[in-house]
This record gives sequence, C-alpha cells and structure tokens, in this order.
Amino acid sequence: MSRYCPCHVIFPSAVLFPDGQCDGSTMKSTRCLLQLQCLRLLGRSGRPAVQHGALLQSASSSQPSVLQNKVLRHFHGSSAFAKNRPVPGQFHEDDKKRDKSLVAHDDLFEQLAKDVKTKATFNKVIEVFTKKDIRRRGHVEFIYAALKKMPEFGVERDLAVYNKLLDVFPKEVFVPRNFIQRMFNHYPRQQECGVQVLEQMENYGIMPNIETKVLLVQIFGEKGHPMRKYQRLMYWFPKFKNVNPFPVPKQLPEDPVDIARFSLTRIANDLDAKVTVYQLPHTDVTESGAEITLPHIVGIQSPSQMELLAKHNPNRPVFVEGPFPLWLRKTCVYYYILRADPTPPEEKVEEPYDPERCLDYPLQLDLDLDRDFGDEESFDVEDLDEGPVFAMCMTSRGDQATLNQWISGLQENNPILGQAPTLFRLDSGPRELQGVADSESSHSHQPHPETQGQEPLSGEEAEVIVEEEPRRSQGMKQ
Amino acid sequence: MSLQKMTRLRPVRLLSSIHQQQLLLPSTTALSVPRRSVIQGEYRRPGQPRENKLPWQKINFDFSKGLQGIKKHFALLKKEFFDRWVGPQGKPILEHMLEQNRVIWEFRGPECLEQWTLSSDREIGGQSEIYLKLGKNTNTCFLYGTLSSVPPRDGETRYSGYCTMRSKQPLAAFDRKEHYDWTSFNTLHLRVRGDGRPWMINLAAETYFSHQKDDIYSYFLYTRGGPYWQDVKIPFSKFFLTHRGRIQDDQHPVWLDKVNTIGFTLGDKADGPFQLEIDFIGVCKDYAHTEEFAYEVYKRNPEV
Repeated sequence: MSRYCPCHVIFPSAVLFPDGQCDGSTMKSTRCLLQLQCLRLLGRSGRPAVQHGALLQSASSSQPSVLQNKVLRHFHGSSAFAKNRPVPGQFHEDDKKRDKSLVAHDDLFEQLAKDVKTKATFNKVIEVFTKKDIRRRGHVEFIYAALKKMPEFGVERDLAVYNKLLDVFPKEVFVPRNFIQRMFNHYPRQQECGVQVLEQMENYGIMPNIETKVLLVQIFGEKGHPMRKYQRLMYWFPKFKNVNPFPVPKQLPEDPVDIARFSLTRIANDLDAKVTVYQLPHTDVTESGAEITLPHIVGIQSPSQMELLAKHNPNRPVFVEGPFPLWLRKTCVYYYILRADPTPPEEKVEEPYDPERCLDYPLQLDLDLDRDFGDEESFDVEDLDEGPVFAMCMTSRGDQATLNQWISGLQENNPILGQAPTLFRLDSGPRELQGVADSESSHSHQPHPETQGQEPLSGEEAEVIVEEEPRRSQGMKQ
Repeated sequence: MSLQKMTRLRPVRLLSSIHQQQLLLPSTTALSVPRRSVIQGEYRRPGQPRENKLPWQKINFDFSKGLQGIKKHFALLKKEFFDRWVGPQGKPILEHMLEQNRVIWEFRGPECLEQWTLSSDREIGGQSEIYLKLGKNTNTCFLYGTLSSVPPRDGETRYSGYCTMRSKQPLAAFDRKEHYDWTSFNTLHLRVRGDGRPWMINLAAETYFSHQKDDIYSYFLYTRGGPYWQDVKIPFSKFFLTHRGRIQDDQHPVWLDKVNTIGFTLGDKADGPFQLEIDFIGVCKDYAHTEEFAYEVYKRNPEV
C-alpha cells in the first residue's frame, strides 16, 4: 500500500464512502505517518500517538477537522523534521509496479458521482479528497480537475463551492516567511493554481467575498499572486457592474410571454409604449381532433408610432418584416416589425399649426440660450431615413397566419391597416431592415396576389400578398 | 498542468484581446517599405509551418502597379506638403480650433469597406466567422457572422470565440504611418444598431517601446437591439488600458494625439449568429464632460 501517493490508487471501496469516514487502509497509512511524527515531535511515549491514531481511526465526521487542525499545528511546528522524511522516489516505484494505470483526478469525480451530478456530490468529492490525506498530496491537480468539472456539475456560479475548493489547499504552508521567499514567487505552482481558481470566478462573473479573502490570506499570505488577483477583482468588478445601460437580468423569466414583454419594452425605446398580448400560448383541438398548439403573440406600440401610422398614406404598402434577432445574454429571441418605406419628398406634408394651440409658449425659439454661437452639436452626415416603424411583435412561430393575427389585432387601434396593403417579408438569416432598395436575390419577380386559403380576416378589405422573397418596390434610392 | 504549459496559453479571456496582425497579403508594389525586422514578424498560428521565404523573394515587380503606386504616393506627398500651408491637419486654423464634431469613419461606398480588417478566432483554429458588407441603403456597414466558443484542439488554447473588426492604420505617402489627432475632442460618438450583444471598442494608440505593442484602450459597447438606431457617446476618459486582453494595474487616460486604429470585438461567449450595423463613427467635444480619467491609480503594493 503506498503511503505517499494515495491519490494514485483507487481503493475498491472508494465508491462507498459513507459520511466522510475514511477507509481503514488509508487511515492505517496516515496513522503510521502520524505516529512517526508524533513520536518525534512530541517526544512522549507511544501511548498518546496510539491514542491519536485510535482517535483518528474511529473519527467520525464530527471530529476530524478539529483533530486535523491540531495535528497540522504540530506538523508545521518545526521545519527541521521535513528533512527526515524518507525519499518518496522509492515508494513511487513500488506504486508503479503495483498498478500500471495512471489514474487521473477526473476519474475520482466520475466514480463518486456516477448517477447524479449536483452540488452535493461535488462537495462530497471535495470532502473525500480532503480527508483522504492530511498532506493533500496532488491537490493542485485535483483542483484543476475540479475546475474543469464544475460546469458538468452545474456549480460554476456558486461562490460557496469555490470557497470550498480553495479550502483544499493546505493552510500556512505556502505563506512566505521572509523577504527572499516573497521576492522569489514562493510555491509557484500553487500560486498559479490559486490564480486559476480566481480566474474561473472572473470568467463567470462571480464576485468573491470575505471568506475568499480570509482563505487566500491563510493559504498564500498577503502579498502573493492570488491575493493580488483578488484585489484586482474587487477593484474592477464593482466598477463595471452597472455599466450596461440596458441591463438584462441574470435569470430570465421562464414564461415566453414575459420574455416577450421584457424584450419588447427594451427595443421599443419609448417609455410610453404599451405592450398588448394578443394571444396566449394554448392548445386547440380542431374539428378533426388534432391538437394544435397556438403560439403567443405579444405586440408593442407607442403613441408616437400610432400617430405615424395614422399619417401613413393608405395607398402605399406596409411591410411586415422579420424575424430579427435579439440577444439577451445567452438566449436569442426574434421579433417582427411593421414598417413602411420612407415617404418620398414630394409627398411630405407640412403640418399646419394647430389654431387651438396654447399661446403661452412660442412654437419656435430662434435663439438657443444655452449654447454659444459657434456650437453645433450635429455631425456632418446625411440623415438616414429608413422609414417609420409602426409596431413590433414577438411570437414563437413566425408564419403568415400568426402575423396576420397580429395585424388584425393592431387594426383595432389603427384602422388604416384595413386599407393599406400589407406585404410580408419573412426571411431568416442575418437580417437588417430592408431599406428602400432590395436584396440581391429578387429579380423580376411577379407578385401574384393569392390568398392561400387562409382564414379570411374579418373586416379587412385589402389584399394580402404573400411573398417569400422581397419584391422590387418603388426602387428609390435614399 | 505544468507551469510551462501555463505560460504558453493563448491569452483570450474575458476582456478578449484583439488579433495581432492583419489578415491581408503583404503589399506587393515595388515601393513597399520593408518593415523593421523583428524576430517574430507576422503572427504564426500555432501548428502552421513557418514560411521560409527570404525577404527579397517576397517582392513582386509589376510595372503597371508600380506606376499606380508612384502616382498615389506622390499625390499623397504633395497633399501633405501643401496642407501645411493651409493650416493644421489641412484645415484653416479657425476651423480647426472651433471644430466640435468630426466624422472619422462613415460607410458611403465599397471603398470605405477597404479601410477595415476583419478577424476572428479562425486564425487560431476556432470556428467563428465574420463578414462585412455594405448595408442595404449603402450608407451603413453591416457586420455579421457566427460566434463559436469551441476552443481549437491544439492542446494549449483554453478559451476561444471572438470576432473583431479593426480599422487599418492610416498611411501617409510611401506607406508611412500616420496618426489621428483627436486632442481637441473628448468623446467618441457612434451610431450603431446591434442585436443586443455587448461589444468592446478598442483604441490602439502609438507606442514607443516594443513591449507596449499590444496596449489597447478599451471600453464596452452595449447594444440595445431593435429596429431603432442607437447613439452611443463614450468619453475618452472612460477607456481603460489593457494589454493582450488583460486589464492593467497602471491605468492612465488614452493619449489622443496619436491614435492609430479603432476596433470592435465581440467575445461574449454566446454561441450563435450576430450582427451589427454602424452608421458612422465620429468624435466630438462635449463641454459638459469635465472628467479627466475615470479610474484612480492605486498604489503598487496596496495593503490587504
């Protein structure tokens, strides 16, 4: 039985570690070690050593940490005895002869958490490792393996687990004791391992807490690299926490209607916009007995958009375009818009001044009182006019029928939709708002008005032209 | 993991780095200026064989191209010479002093797309793609592609998944480096329409020492998404210093007198397609903004 590399040997009973009690064989080896050490350090009779050993043997999960602390303190009482430890090389050879396979720490995770991978099993694996060897042999490799396995167990965003993982490091061993040690990157592998733990925390955006700081001070001292990394995290994370002007909550709502509501209010850019749910997701049973699931339809329109739509010329078509992607953290949702081409200059109507307007305030102020004469705030670029956007909607199924439902729902508040022809331009792929010019795919495409057997929209007299490819519209360049 | 392996890791992390080299072929005119020979040279993707061409074998003599080159460079030289008589940077002094807004990049035609270089982690073996085209109304640029954070299997790269668009270094006559002088401005103004993804804006300024080569000043660009254009104003005092994607301890404000390039990076670890439209990029002087630098420099050896 190897005493010095227990991590390389997988005990057959390793799978059944109950309540953190260690296997007899490991304890025997550690007990021997401890006996040796106790004999030397304490200089007492063998009885207390045996007592220690016995205590350890029978130690249930309630006692070991206290005992281990005690032993630790004795352990690191004097460094002189470190020289007296036998050379591990010979034991390593023994080990190799005994089992030829190199077992990685990953397997420890696989073995102990075969069925279900949760936080509890992850914690259990860490405890197993911690209790297996008082010296925590191979802890660096174990921590790297644990970091790699965290996403599988689903604990990568859990600060308590990171603190527990940092706890695997033996305390006070790696703290530099004089200025030379501080200068020369004391225990570089362990410091790098600590930095990697913090780096994974940084990657997932988890802010460390005071417990992390205490652990780092105990393990690496106050001037080590992990501590510096912790200080950097604590400096930069609060600075960038609220820098997003359009924040997305970490936990998005589960309900698609709620997601639609949130994202529509986000893209509406108008606080007056009103969200209307035209249809909730439900299943319907048709006459033939088949069940069809109807998707949700959530739309948004603001009063200024309603005004624009009211002013729209009913002879010109309006377009339903989509789906456009919108990313909220890691999820992508799609929205559709109702827009029209920009009005050509000859049709622009000057709004007459309302004779009933309030005469307290002038309509135009010729001087901008706050600004200097030379100030100009605008850039020397042409104004992009891509046409007004009248409404947006989100639905899980973006086909003709669903969008027709949306349009008919909109029509209740915007009667002009009944007269203006509605064209559908529904492609997927990297989409941008179609300007006045067209995509390259359409050539002389004859639009054929066909009502493809859809349910006749009540009260809509206009023709609804179905098109999968955009038709060459008036072709006016901006 | 051994310490040696650690140091060879590709530094692509949370604050993703910008690619180091442009992806274009080297210039083939007879008047190409030999770059300062550094031992490293162009970026070599790990695993690719080294090019064994000697420096004089890379020159390609072509008469018509040479003639074009001569015309172009001498025209630039003449412009540079005579611009000084007009005023600083070719503008009359009054206009230069009172200037409050300046449009630096706009996308009015296909030749504007030539000023930009695209790069993605395809260079290191990843699977992201990025493309740039002119927008539908030919007034904007449309940057789109797919992001994939699957790291390449070369044994040393741990993280991957980035796409960038970077402007080319402006060149004066005979391919000399020219810099943007934005000292009279203090805000960067962009008009973009994104899809809700967070981007990063990177400014590269001219540096003196070779180890400052990858010094980039960055800040976040959060897009709202949606059909409306978004005006983004970022004061230059907010840009923080990074080196190869890692934020540095010694922070200082970006020096605006010699700005080389601007770039946009996407590395938000969300796999999938992305798109960004940019209408124009300009700088402006905001009199209401009096902050000099947003980040205080703390001590080199702070107490815990």
